[in-house]
Amino acid sequence: MDIRKIKKLIELLDESGVAEIEIQEGEESVRISRHCAPAPVTAGVPAAAPTTPVAAVAPAPAAPSESQETAASEGETLPPGHVVKSPMVGTFYRSPSPGAKSFVEVGSQVEVGDVLCIIEAMKILNQIEADVAGVIKAIPGENGQPVEYGQPIFVIE
Amino acid sequence: MHQRYRLLRLLADGRFHSGEALGAALGIGRSAVWKLVASLGELGLEVFGVTGRGYRLAYPIEFLDRGRILDAIAPPTRQLIADVDVHNSLESTNRLLLERAANGLANGSVCLAEHQTDGRGRRGRSWVSPFGANVYLSLYWRFDAAPQGLNGLSLAAGVAVARALGAAGIDGVGLKWPNDIIWEQRKLAGILIEMSGEATGPTHVVAGVGLNVAMPRSAGEHIDQPWADVQTASGGAQDRNQLSAGLIQELAVAFSEFATAGLGPTLLHEWERLDVIRGRTVALRTGQGEVVGTAVGLDEFGSLLVMVNGKTQRYHSGEVSLRV
Repeated sequence: MDIRKIKKLIELLDESGVAEIEIQEGEESVRISRHCAPAPVTAGVPAAAPTTPVAAVAPAPAAPSESQETAASEGETLPPGHVVKSPMVGTFYRSPSPGAKSFVEVGSQVEVGDVLCIIEAMKILNQIEADVAGVIKAIPGENGQPVEYGQPIFVIE
Repeated sequence: MHQRYRLLRLLADGRFHSGEALGAALGIGRSAVWKLVASLGELGLEVFGVTGRGYRLAYPIEFLDRGRILDAIAPPTRQLIADVDVHNSLESTNRLLLERAANGLANGSVCLAEHQTDGRGRRGRSWVSPFGANVYLSLYWRFDAAPQGLNGLSLAAGVAVARALGAAGIDGVGLKWPNDIIWEQRKLAGILIEMSGEATGPTHVVAGVGLNVAMPRSAGEHIDQPWADVQTASGGAQDRNQLSAGLIQELAVAFSEFATAGLGPTLLHEWERLDVIRGRTVALRTGQGEVVGTAVGLDEFGSLLVMVNGKTQRYHSGEVSLRV
C-alpha cells in the first residue's frame, strides 16, 4: 500500500472524528486507530499539525500469530519471524555514525544483546539490541527516517 | 604506557625538570626520557624542552582525585552515588559505563577520564579530549521507566549542568535545544546520553558530559564549532575536582527528580529560562532535510516548537543552528 495513501487516511481520520479505519486491498490491509491510552510523545512528524491528536498507524494483523504482522508503513508483508519493534518515537539509524558500516544487514547472524540499530530522540541515543538470536530476515525501518512507537524495524528468524 | 603517567605526575607542577632528574626518578636513560616526553603529544599535551633546563608542561595539571571529588559532593546527594572511578585514558567514558552496565552496574556509578582517545558527540562527531585540561565524565542511572518515557531526560541533564556551572560562579550560561551548554554563543559543554533496555523498561542510561575547562589552544583548533572554556567564562582558573563534583551532584539530583516526577514544571520552566534560541530564527536539520523557522519554545514533553510559515511544528530530533 502506498505511504501517501496511508497519510491521506490519517488525515481523513483526523477530520472525521472516527476512531478507527480499516482498509483492505487484495491481501494487504491496514488499520489506523486513534490512541485511547495516554498518547506517547508524538512529535516529529512535521506533516501533522501539532494541535490535532496524532493517529497511530497500527499494523493490521494479517494472521492471528503476532509474528506475521504487516508493516503498514512499508506496504509489504514481512517475512515470518520474530518482529523487533521500535520502543520509542524517534529517528532510526542503522549505523553508529554517518558513513560507518551498518550494525547488521539482511542475512546477518545475531546473538541476544547484539546492537541492531540506534533510535534517537532529543539527542538521546537508544541502542536497540536483539532479544533473540537468529538471522536478520528483513529491515523494514529506513536509515535516517522517523519511526513510530511499536513500528516493526527488524525481523529475526 | 605506565611510565608515561608517572612522567606526567613528575611534570604536573608546570616547572622545569631536567632530563637527568626525570630519568633517575623513572629509572630510565635520557634518550628514553626524550622519547617518553615526545609521546605526550598523543595525549594532546604541549611540552616545552629547553636546552640546559629540561622539560616543562605548557600548563600545570591538577589531577582528578577520587577522594577529593567524593568529599566535595554534598552528603544527601553523596548517598545517591555508588562510586567514582578515575582513569588516565579511556576510549570514552560513556562507552566504558555502557559496557559495564551490560554486566550489571550499581546505580549512580561515575566514571571520569583525564584523556579520551575516542571522545564522542552525537552521531559520530568527536569530542576533543586532551589530557588533564577538561572534564569528561559519565554517570550511570537505572530508570524503571521504558525508553519512550525518558526523552525529557535530555533537558533535565542540560538543566543539571547549567545549575552546576551557576553554582561554580559562572554567569551567563544558557541552553540550546535540547542540551548544548552555551556561553556567549559558544559551546562550553556538551551532553551525550545513551541508553539501552527493554521496550517496557527498566532502562539503563549513561549520561556523558564534556566540559571545556582550560582547553589548550592547540587542541581547540580541532573543534569544528565556536567553543568556550570555564577558564574564559569565569575569568580564572577553576579546580576540575570541584567542577566534577558539582556536575555529578546536580546530575544525580536532576535524575532522581526525573525518576519520580518526570519532566515536571520545575525542570521545564528552568530550562525555558535558560533557552538561548527562543524567538530567534533557527535552522533545524533532520533526516528529512532542513527547515527554517522561529523557535517558540517547548511542548510539555520537551519537544522543540518551531514556527514555520505561520504554523507551529514540533520536533523531537534534529540539529539546531542559529540563523543570523
